Amino acid sequence: MSEYTVVGQTVARVDAVEKVTGAAQYGADVHPAGMLYGKIVRSKHAHANILSIDTSEAEKLPGVRAIITQDDVPSGRRVFATDKVLYLGEPLAAVAATDPDIAEEAAELIKIEYEVLPVVQDVMEAIKVSAPRLQSDAAKDGPNRREISAQIRKLTRDKENDHSDEISKLEAALEEYPDEVYYNISAESHSEAGDVEKGFAESDVVVEDTYVIPRVHQTYMEPHVSVASADSSGKVTVWASTQGPFAIRSGIAGTLGIPLTQINVIGTTMGGGFGGRFGVIITHVPAVLLSQKTGRPVRVQMTREEEFIDGRPAPGCVIKIKTGATNDGQILAREALAFWDSGSVSGASIGSTIRVRGVYKIPNLKVDAYGVHTNKSGTAAYRAPGAPQAIFAGESQLDEIAERIGMDPVKFRLMNMREEGDPVPAGANEPKVGYKETLEAVADAAGWWDREAGENQGWGVAVGDWTNGCGPGGVYVSVHEDGSARIFHGSMDITGTDTMISQITAEILTIPYESVTIRRGDTDSAPYSTGSGGSVVTFTMGNTAKLAAEDAHRRILELASERLNTNVDNLELKDGAVHVVSADPPKSISLGELAAYSLSTTGGPIVGKGSFARQASTPALAAQIAKVEVDPDTGRTRVLKLVASQDVGYAINPMAVEGQIEGGTVQGYAWAMMEEMQYGENGNINPGFVDYRVPTSADLPTVESVIVEVPAPNGPYGAKGVGEPPITPTLATMANAVKDAIGVRVTELPIKPEKVVEALKSNGHGT
Amino acid sequence: MKGFEFFEPTTLAEASQLFAQEHTQLLAGGTDLVIGMKALTEAPQSVISLQKIPGLAGVTTEADGSISVGAMTKVREVELSADVQKHHTALAEGAAEIGSIQIRNLATIGGNIAHASPAADTVAGLLVADAQVDIASADGERSVSIDELFTGPGQTVLTPGEIIIRFRLPSPASGSHYIKHKIREVMDLAFIGVAAAVNLDNGTITDARIGLAAVAPTPIRATEAENLLRGNELTSELLQQAGEAAAAASSPISDLRCSAEHRREMVDVLTRRTLQGAVARA
Ligand SMILES: Cc1cc2nc3c(=O)[nH]c(=O)nc-3n(C[C@H](O)[C@H](O)[C@H](O)COP(=O)(O)OP(=O)(O)OC[C@H]3O[C@@H](n4cnc5c(N)ncnc54)[C@H](O)[C@@H]3O)c2cc1C
Repeated sequence: MSEYTVVGQTVARVDAVEKVTGAAQYGADVHPAGMLYGKIVRSKHAHANILSIDTSEAEKLPGVRAIITQDDVPSGRRVFATDKVLYLGEPLAAVAATDPDIAEEAAELIKIEYEVLPVVQDVMEAIKVSAPRLQSDAAKDGPNRREISAQIRKLTRDKENDHSDEISKLEAALEEYPDEVYYNISAESHSEAGDVEKGFAESDVVVEDTYVIPRVHQTYMEPHVSVASADSSGKVTVWASTQGPFAIRSGIAGTLGIPLTQINVIGTTMGGGFGGRFGVIITHVPAVLLSQKTGRPVRVQMTREEEFIDGRPAPGCVIKIKTGATNDGQILAREALAFWDSGSVSGASIGSTIRVRGVYKIPNLKVDAYGVHTNKSGTAAYRAPGAPQAIFAGESQLDEIAERIGMDPVKFRLMNMREEGDPVPAGANEPKVGYKETLEAVADAAGWWDREAGENQGWGVAVGDWTNGCGPGGVYVSVHEDGSARIFHGSMDITGTDTMISQITAEILTIPYESVTIRRGDTDSAPYSTGSGGSVVTFTMGNTAKLAAEDAHRRILELASERLNTNVDNLELKDGAVHVVSADPPKSISLGELAAYSLSTTGGPIVGKGSFARQASTPALAAQIAKVEVDPDTGRTRVLKLVASQDVGYAINPMAVEGQIEGGTVQGYAWAMMEEMQYGENGNINPGFVDYRVPTSADLPTVESVIVEVPAPNGPYGAKGVGEPPITPTLATMANAVKDAIGVRVTELPIKPEKVVEALKSNGHGT
Repeated sequence: MKGFEFFEPTTLAEASQLFAQEHTQLLAGGTDLVIGMKALTEAPQSVISLQKIPGLAGVTTEADGSISVGAMTKVREVELSADVQKHHTALAEGAAEIGSIQIRNLATIGGNIAHASPAADTVAGLLVADAQVDIASADGERSVSIDELFTGPGQTVLTPGEIIIRFRLPSPASGSHYIKHKIREVMDLAFIGVAAAVNLDNGTITDARIGLAAVAPTPIRATEAENLLRGNELTSELLQQAGEAAAAASSPISDLRCSAEHRREMVDVLTRRTLQGAVARA
């Protein structure tokens, strides 16, 4: 039996009633008096020079209150494109009007003259010398062979003068460029441990494949929205749907040069985020600029189409990967070369390529990763950024090796998994994590060891790891005269984290969960808090709340010691009252009485403070098994069973943890089987839910979740980050199951019916 | 959405008169129209609701076994109608494939057909039912066969002011079946849709009809394949020939959903499957 009474229990979420009744206030519910409607004017081309922007017609439209372009950004920081656009939908201007339809009409009336340029959407095309250069001044841009060739051609054409010397010099320069020069590179990352060439040479089996993962959108339910109000004193208030109000505050301050304390960010209830709700430029900055110009509150809200063309989705990626192992199942070497589609800006979590090492003892490892510019919007985080892509490649290839050496995929993984203290290639030594426990748990729960498969059915397994993080946070806990406690903090409730914070507080103060209420402040009032992302909230805010409650606990005992005339060492807080240990007759005083008493003491009311940052958190592992059935004629795949286990350290609220496991697994399934942002000649061609398919509950059975608890040393009650790990293995789990069912591997996601039919044809089916 | 005038006539004559004007649209369930208006692909100056006109909704079975489905009948009602399920299974199955239950409770069969999407899910079932489309206007009524209704994507033979009032399904085939090729279980548009209907006499196919959706600019019948089947027993060889003939009759496009080649292959696969299903039910 658990020694705890509130943590470790499933309790109703603190926000359950307001969500179910519709009382929760989302960003679009904010409507200050006199509010105007903003609309972003967007590029209609994926790559073009901007020759002119003419706002005169739009300005004449009745109801239009302001039109802004980059000229209206006093700091000069890039908010709108000026001379060049790099993707369809890139912002060029913004309008504020009294009515959303007028704003839209005005946006259409703005005349923009474009000089259309060649477009490149595919990373493998973008790295070629023949590709248009997107950021000509990018430091990482490769040498420009094309320009040299063009110069040679030009000189050759000029028959009137003799350029032979010059031409031969240019030709020599051209010769010197190595073949493996990549163009349009936005960033790169390299790491190496051991000697991969030696590892491959010593291997009995070496497998090399290329995996292609599409760009996907976080598809949170609530599109980006912000309402900004600048008053005459220069104070700016922003109601923002964001995962990190403090990050938005500093982002606005940095972008627009407004003093930090002149900005108040009020986080509104969030309709999902998954990492995509941190950006400041998308709606917040334009809303502030429009409000500053009009002196009225302005709402800027994206449509779903705008979300697709100008959101910050997860990057697609092409990974060439090679693994060598011995016949008895030892992995000796792995090498990966990844090209991440970072779109028009750099970024794209290229560093996550290192996750191809997985949780295995791989003595020789080499990883090279490049971010590549294409004519798409930039990217941002999506649930374990970069990990699902890299792990898809790594875990798919492991199954290929297991098959070749004739070893069971679970046994093969168990045999190679690292244990506590093992060296981690290009990393620190392994802490205690339940890698094997988690994989064994999923195998047992799914019935892996005596699995059966009918015709066209198959089983797949994969594991995915995630490091987890920690951020800074602050919490106050006050105890009131009725014995209840109130928590005050500044972090956004993202997955039931307010509920978890309340549970911890109730546990420490030994009061019922229902006696705790929680209140989130804005950035003007609340102590600083880390953004709600990166699986940091339970670890960070859980520890912070625990410190605050323990601080209150200390004050409670102090007060009780005064009241009961005994040393604190003789006192114990239990069931909401302080008791004198082994007093006969029993002697105690309730929390409410102590809170009332505190008001007239020199020490003052019971207020606990917790402040916390940067403790090492512990990695987590998710392991999953799927059973599928594939229709070989239509290529459609049905999931018959999907089991997901995860080492969560300690489940503070088991139902919330299961919700995270289910949600992450379903998102991984979607990425594997149907989700994909598609691009044509002029940008994104499926900007809506008709052709960007998110699964419904009819598409897969209930995910069976299995909670594994190997406590994290620094976590609150041993808990660690839970939100991100479950998406990491599912892409490979599904791909491995489909391979097992049809005997041929689909290496390019999503595994759509057409691709399955093609793969089967290549394997002789139907011919 | 652009502003518009809204009319709620109570008679067909009134509706037809209003609808004969330029820049008008009919509102049935609104599940296609309102989305188009929001996306500005439709910007009617007047919207004329059919919802207040009596007598346009409902499924009725006539004495001769033929069935009449009012244009304003909700797709959900078509799906759940015992008579449609029994005598025109492919149509009921097609109706059941549309969107979600919420959508099917709003969407009408008239709207599904009048919208003239080549991928509409009730169209293949109506094709294999040999449906007659009754049309009313200020000039009176006329009737066209369903396979003469469509002239292109989003286009029909309907002239200004003409309103579909009902679909008449003559005496039924003895068995029919519809399959939609899609990625998602529900809420997906058809990559292609195939319906087959057969009449059997002692194992011999006396009549066969095959309807194909989303494989040509309009929904089509695979007449070559039908001719191969008539008068024969369904052997595996014949099944294969019919599938190939149906695939040859299609002229699909490649788009973001899939390639033309995949669509053609699926016509072959699903023609065989729907024929087998139809024969099993006959
Ligand atoms: C979320 C969603 C999912 C969907 N999924 C599917 C699907 O899976 N399969 C599918 O086939 N469709 C699907 N649809 C499309 C739509 O629901 C159907 O086409 C529906 O049957 C249209 O009927 P309605 O009554 O809503 O038509 P409305 O939107 O009211 O009208 C559509 C058009 O038909 C015209 N019209 C309507 N009635 C008549 C009439 N009696 N005479 C002449 N013209 C008329 C109107 O002028 C208008 O142009 C989906 C729609 C949505 C919103």
